[in-house]
Amino acid sequence: MVRYGMIIDLNRCIGCRSCAVVCKIVNSQPPGTWWQRVETVGSNEHMVPVGEYPNLSEVFLPIPCMHCENAPCVDVCPVGATWQREDGLVLVDFERCIGCRYCITACPYGVRQFNWQDPDENFKQGFERSGFEENWFAEGDYKYGYPKDHRTDDGRLVYTKTRPRGVVEKCTFCVQFVDQGIAPACVRGCPGNARIFGDLDDPGSEISKTLKDRAAFRLLEELGTEPKVFYIPPARKEGRGGVRYGEKI
Amino acid sequence: MGRKYDLAMGILAVLALIGVAAFIYQFQKGLILTNMRNPFSWGIYIAMWAFYVGTAAGGLVVSSAINIFGVKQLKPIAPVASLSAFIFAVAAMIMILPDIGRPERVFYMFIYPNPKSLLPWDFLVLSVYAVLSAVYTYVQLQPKIAERGISLPFGKTIMKKGDLTPAELENLRVKSERRAKALAPIALPFAILIHTVTAWVLATQLSRPWWYGGLLAPTFIAAALTAGPAVVILASLVVYGLREDLKPTYRLLAKVSAFSAVALLFMYYNDFFIRQWWDAGREYDALMLVLRDYLHIHAVEAVFLIAGIVILAKKYDTVSGLVAGSIAVNVGILAHRYLLIPPAYNLIPLRVPVVMAGESFEWQYPIAVGEVRGTLLNPEPVFVSYWNYIPSAVEMAITVGVFALISFVFLALMKALPVRE
Ligand code: SF4
Ligand code: SF4
Repeated sequence: MVRYGMIIDLNRCIGCRSCAVVCKIVNSQPPGTWWQRVETVGSNEHMVPVGEYPNLSEVFLPIPCMHCENAPCVDVCPVGATWQREDGLVLVDFERCIGCRYCITACPYGVRQFNWQDPDENFKQGFERSGFEENWFAEGDYKYGYPKDHRTDDGRLVYTKTRPRGVVEKCTFCVQFVDQGIAPACVRGCPGNARIFGDLDDPGSEISKTLKDRAAFRLLEELGTEPKVFYIPPARKEGRGGVRYGEKI
Repeated sequence: MGRKYDLAMGILAVLALIGVAAFIYQFQKGLILTNMRNPFSWGIYIAMWAFYVGTAAGGLVVSSAINIFGVKQLKPIAPVASLSAFIFAVAAMIMILPDIGRPERVFYMFIYPNPKSLLPWDFLVLSVYAVLSAVYTYVQLQPKIAERGISLPFGKTIMKKGDLTPAELENLRVKSERRAKALAPIALPFAILIHTVTAWVLATQLSRPWWYGGLLAPTFIAAALTAGPAVVILASLVVYGLREDLKPTYRLLAKVSAFSAVALLFMYYNDFFIRQWWDAGREYDALMLVLRDYLHIHAVEAVFLIAGIVILAKKYDTVSGLVAGSIAVNVGILAHRYLLIPPAYNLIPLRVPVVMAGESFEWQYPIAVGEVRGTLLNPEPVFVSYWNYIPSAVEMAITVGVFALISFVFLALMKALPVRE
């Protein structure tokens, strides 16, 4: 049985947010919606270290959907719109979701997002608010994103470029690519090569081998959600690649 | 009653229509018209849903107390009580509609129910409860309906059976009593279930320490037994007034409400104590959030509940005392329900411990709000770790509208049905 998972190596993450941007474009996310977030741990602003000199720390933590094995969002969904596919992907059926947002309440990782309005409206508003007079994405015009609708084998709509209003969406591990045997966009788009995607049940896969060799942790493990996204903790970097502000060199 | 009644109905009708218009507007534009966003995904609609579930309790608990435990004092007001149970159960279900993004799909809960989720169960017990209390009301009123009929507007009367002999009427009375007795043991468990299941919807959420835990369901029951009888007092006062023979009834209801309010406060502060004793952790932080940001709501809750307890315990034999006390406890419970929401959301579940040289703290991972806010020169962040929720105008219009609608229907039914002696 295939069971997909991901490793994010925090030693390699440079906090560039390329994953978030490529994810946003490829999955055609409306303004204000981000399936992938990258923040600097402990800081109010990204890329600003925390602490006081010389004890500074700057760890970047990317957060996709964890595709939890024991997913609270799947448990609470009253209509089974969110479900876990056999290969471990937790998906949302846009045609089934009633928009109750119980799953947003249940997800401990804050990855689920709601379509508060029509995407066309949202784009228009987004352009206006960021100072563009004209609406660059007038109705019917080209919009960014993977162009085709994607359905699972049993016919459930899990990706569509024009989102229906009033349903929940979230990271799908790029189901439209995974079903074609291609890795998720964030894995391919990461310039630091920080991510590994693959089959956790196959002992020969790169992800399984890496998990065997390296100490990895998962977020909020104490909640029993059994996330399938693993993190390799950042090692303390001393005198390597850093800038030293001492008086003498 | 005539002029005043018409005026009240007129105002309620206008408010209800505004609410309906607001709902249609929200249905067209989406929930963007509310002030809920991704980090704060449930708001006043869900608080009102929990409130109505609570107020729906009184009715059936009262009427079944008569038939199961033989509390005879409550008998005269039983039909009013079960009718209020019906109205508020329906109100709770209506309250869900504006909250969901796709109200036209709400029936999916029945076609594709997920048994692990508690929402379909809640919907199920609420609908059964609504049907049961409607049937219960009818059964109790059956003899009177046969005698006097249901009076429709414009002076028409239906279902009146004028040709019944006194013997037949007596027969009907006995039958109605027997049926009511049989229904009571079925209805009472559902009266309890609606609160427990509603509480479980929230209390099972491990990611929300403000709700999570075993104490939420008992506090929901206590809140229901506070608000329910108080609502029945108000409804009976409207219908019967403070009649001499009803005084023991009001007294009993006032006592039940006051006592439950005491129990509620006890459980609440018991929970507060345990949370604060730990001095750290998510449960403690949730409490600190209440004390820091929502102290005013908590103050309303505590002050009104305590005032209500005192008034109901002392002044249960005057109209003003009963009205003031019942309204006070209901305001207190309303604030209690509202306070369910903000501390649950503003404590973001994904918190990363940051340990620095001299300090350590839990850092909340920000959540994308779902829209672009601000302007080019004054942009507002897309990722936030705190959401200052205040219900929007549309949310208020819908909330008030639902209340006006159910009050309208309640008053209309009170006039139509032969509930009076
Ligand atoms: S991270 Fe959240 S949305 Fe993703 S599977 Fe887990 S609970 Fe569900
Ligand atoms: S919002 Fe949609 S996916 Fe989430 S719990 Fe409700 S129906 Fe399920």
